[in-house]
Amino acid sequence: MTNITILIIGALLSISILYLVRKGKMHGPYATWWLLVALCAIVLSIFPKIIDWAAAQVGITYPPTLLLVLSVSLILIRMLTMDMALTKKERKIRRLTQKMAMLEEGQNNQQDKSD
Amino acid sequence: MKTLIVIPAFNEAENLKHLIPQLLDKVSHDVIVVNDASTDQTAEVVADFGLKCLTLPLQLGAWGATQTGIRYAEKSGFGQVITMDADGQHLPQEVNSLMDLYENTQTNVVIGTFPSRLSYLKKLAWNFFKLLTHIKIEDLTSGFRLYDKKAIKVLSSRQASMLDYQDVGVLLLLLGAGLTIKEVPVKMHDRSDGKSRVFSSWLVVLKYMVQTTTLCIANMGKRTAK
Repeated sequence: MTNITILIIGALLSISILYLVRKGKMHGPYATWWLLVALCAIVLSIFPKIIDWAAAQVGITYPPTLLLVLSVSLILIRMLTMDMALTKKERKIRRLTQKMAMLEEGQNNQQDKSD
Repeated sequence: MKTLIVIPAFNEAENLKHLIPQLLDKVSHDVIVVNDASTDQTAEVVADFGLKCLTLPLQLGAWGATQTGIRYAEKSGFGQVITMDADGQHLPQEVNSLMDLYENTQTNVVIGTFPSRLSYLKKLAWNFFKLLTHIKIEDLTSGFRLYDKKAIKVLSSRQASMLDYQDVGVLLLLLGAGLTIKEVPVKMHDRSDGKSRVFSSWLVVLKYMVQTTTLCIANMGKRTAK
């Protein structure tokens, strides 16, 4: 039963992402990431034994632990890369703002000369 | 080489009305005001004196505004930049003290310091930062500084755009580039109105301390020139 729930969640997620891309509300790398997440959910719901097998390989006796640890780690990594992207955006905005002030001043100068 | 005086200003129309005439009277350098998205008449006041004014469409804070002036200086080919506050704390006649030391010693950066203005808490905070970074400078936050061509280049960089305050981060960047920093004692005026941007409320102080400490720790072990 749980498998079917996860399958439905994965399927809904995939459809939502494709819808968002279609509407232009999500682009490039973000869409790829979320589609991969949806794909993982679908694959795991169809073959739940994958988790049991992987847990046995790394010596974890209670397989859901592996699933939880992995998902929390991935969420943390994703958040870290988001903040890195935000920092990059902040720098671009700052430099753009400065450049705009400089260009505007130059433009006013030219207008003064032509007056 | 020409020198540019950069004055970052946020809602400083009243103070600039007093400062600009004094400044134009005392020094012959070019002056530019960076208007940090002010909501008052700052831009108009500056224009009335016939000075150039760079108006930022978004507020960037004191350092973002100062860097705008520094980038402008780099683009326009100025040899030195002197930064000073708009609130009248830095005295126009002291600009020459900075220039004199610069011309006599050929150092890359000159900082005008007024050590007796420091409160006990500020001294404590700065001693803590000095301990973390090995910066050998008395006054870390003084915005009364002279930068030479090399320093202008370093501070125009993209990396410098990520700094939030014109103090420890800027000094670390300059020292990391192997530039020399010297201090000169100057007289300063008590703030006529308005308070320090950095030390204004406890929450702001806390944010400043945490961010600057992080910056210091992240920069540990980097090469620091004396």
